[in-house]
Amino acid sequence: MKMVSIASGTDLTALYRKLVGNYPKFFKMDTLSKLGFLLAEMLVADDSDRFTEREDRAVLIFSRRGCLANDLNYAKSMEDFPSPSLFVYTLPNTVAGEIAIRNKYQGETGAFLLEGYDRPQIDEIVHQVFQDRITRDAIVAWIDCPSETEWTAQAWIVSK
Amino acid sequence: MTKVFSIGTGLVTPLGSTVTSVLEAIREGRSKQYFSRNGFTGHSFFENIALEAAQKAISGIEITPKTGFILSTAKGNVEFIGREDISLALSARRIADALGVKTTPIVVSNACISGVAAMLQGMRMIRSGAFDKVIVVGAEVQSPFIETGFDCLKAISPEPCRPFDKDRQGLNLGEAAAAMVLCADEGPWEIVDGVIRNDANHISGPSRTGEGSFKCLRYVLESLAKEDRLSFVSVHGTATPYNDEMEAIALDRAGLSHVPVCALKGYFGHTMGAAGLVEVIVCMGAHDMGFIPASKGFGELGVSRPVNISAQERPASGNAIIKLLSGFGGVNGALLLRKGGSL
Amino acid sequence: MDSKQIIMEQLITEVKLKLIEALNLDGMMPEDIDNNAPLFGDDGLGLDSIDVLELIVLLEKNYGIRIDNPAKGRQVFQSVAVMADYIANNRTK
Repeated sequence: MKMVSIASGTDLTALYRKLVGNYPKFFKMDTLSKLGFLLAEMLVADDSDRFTEREDRAVLIFSRRGCLANDLNYAKSMEDFPSPSLFVYTLPNTVAGEIAIRNKYQGETGAFLLEGYDRPQIDEIVHQVFQDRITRDAIVAWIDCPSETEWTAQAWIVSK
Repeated sequence: MTKVFSIGTGLVTPLGSTVTSVLEAIREGRSKQYFSRNGFTGHSFFENIALEAAQKAISGIEITPKTGFILSTAKGNVEFIGREDISLALSARRIADALGVKTTPIVVSNACISGVAAMLQGMRMIRSGAFDKVIVVGAEVQSPFIETGFDCLKAISPEPCRPFDKDRQGLNLGEAAAAMVLCADEGPWEIVDGVIRNDANHISGPSRTGEGSFKCLRYVLESLAKEDRLSFVSVHGTATPYNDEMEAIALDRAGLSHVPVCALKGYFGHTMGAAGLVEVIVCMGAHDMGFIPASKGFGELGVSRPVNISAQERPASGNAIIKLLSGFGGVNGALLLRKGGSL
Repeated sequence: MDSKQIIMEQLITEVKLKLIEALNLDGMMPEDIDNNAPLFGDDGLGLDSIDVLELIVLLEKNYGIRIDNPAKGRQVFQSVAVMADYIANNRTK
């Protein structure tokens, strides 16, 4: 099972330029979404038929604090002018949407918040998601991001 | 395949705290989006209403060591941001502990489809054999965080919302809590199937072709038995220009433009993480009383495809209901419900 | 150039800088944005509906101009030139 991770504090812009470089929407994302986007990139960059629409791959995000780092930024913007581009990232599932958009994954996307990293519990939930008739594999990510400079971020692909 | 049933429900809404009183309010055409917090002396109003709904749902039902717990919410305790740990998993733990649940709780936070996603996951948990019951609770309370957010997106209507209407101007926000206990034992309503599909198009706008919603409808329709008859489809119906148009297209593509459609957000507002559960429980209750609720706020159709929606209450026939929802992040979800004991 | 033109030039550059910052247009410089190029749609900078809303905030925050509906926003934000012109005529700060 291929597993990838991004060390806490990594320069994400530099990593983006190295792995992608031609997806300007990256710069609108919050840190949680940037991490998910880059983890997915590391997992699927060499997929054949990449960017072909498919319904059989789920994208499942697991976290404890979700989009908290961005929520704090949005709350700050509320002090004078609430920011629409920050508000759209005040949900822990938006990152799954960004991965889906980039890779044309039209299958299931989900976000689950847990008390802490619990691999057996994550595996159990993923196994339950595999009851979907069409889903054949899943990108699974554990991303816990208390601030924009500090996180745990890892991801893997698992098949049904 | 193990059948999964709803064996208990609970509602805590500004319109009423029993299914009966809420249905009565609906039949009288009343609406109320916000709770009064007068007399509330606790800390988290969000956790309070979630717990209350769960307690109603489990009344008379035994919690076993194999009883699971899922909390469905978008923003939970966000009103306390910056002042305390607002992790949703923490809220889930506190509520689960108060109920006496022994398993590790999980939170499904999948934008506005969370309620459907949570019931779907609960169904899967029962089918996996690892749980004999699952308590699914959806709850949402409003706060400046959420209100300013939808306001800066210009998504809020200046007047009561008008689902599918040609003059619709956006959504109303609402708050509520609702809970359902799922079990493999026979109950009044069966949760037959469910699905989530992403449009893979835009993080906040729906697909112009209704891609994800159409795929969801197509998927759950495959689980309709030959003898089943669809009573109605309960739509998301937020009354934004784009959402309702998208749902009309999805319904039409799925061959459902003739099936009665019911939009409930005119009564409750958009209750976000609670919406799926509130609306499903209300739909089950209305069907049991023999009617399809009027789609409050609807007047004249303002979408590009035919939709069988009505501003009047209609008699319910058939034995199955589809709940359809969409949410930010490009998500769409559907749930298929069947009246228990009918097959 | 007369003083009116100079003021307009300065406003256009200012608008471009604020736009680049507000919309996270990484690495772009004012000289990369043509004054009359469409901001939306595939030929232009490829901005979307959230960008319209963010530009509405930009106008209110920096120039005291309130736009209440996104459709009006799209008209005003057709190009930097149209935007700067609108600002010059409607600014309250």
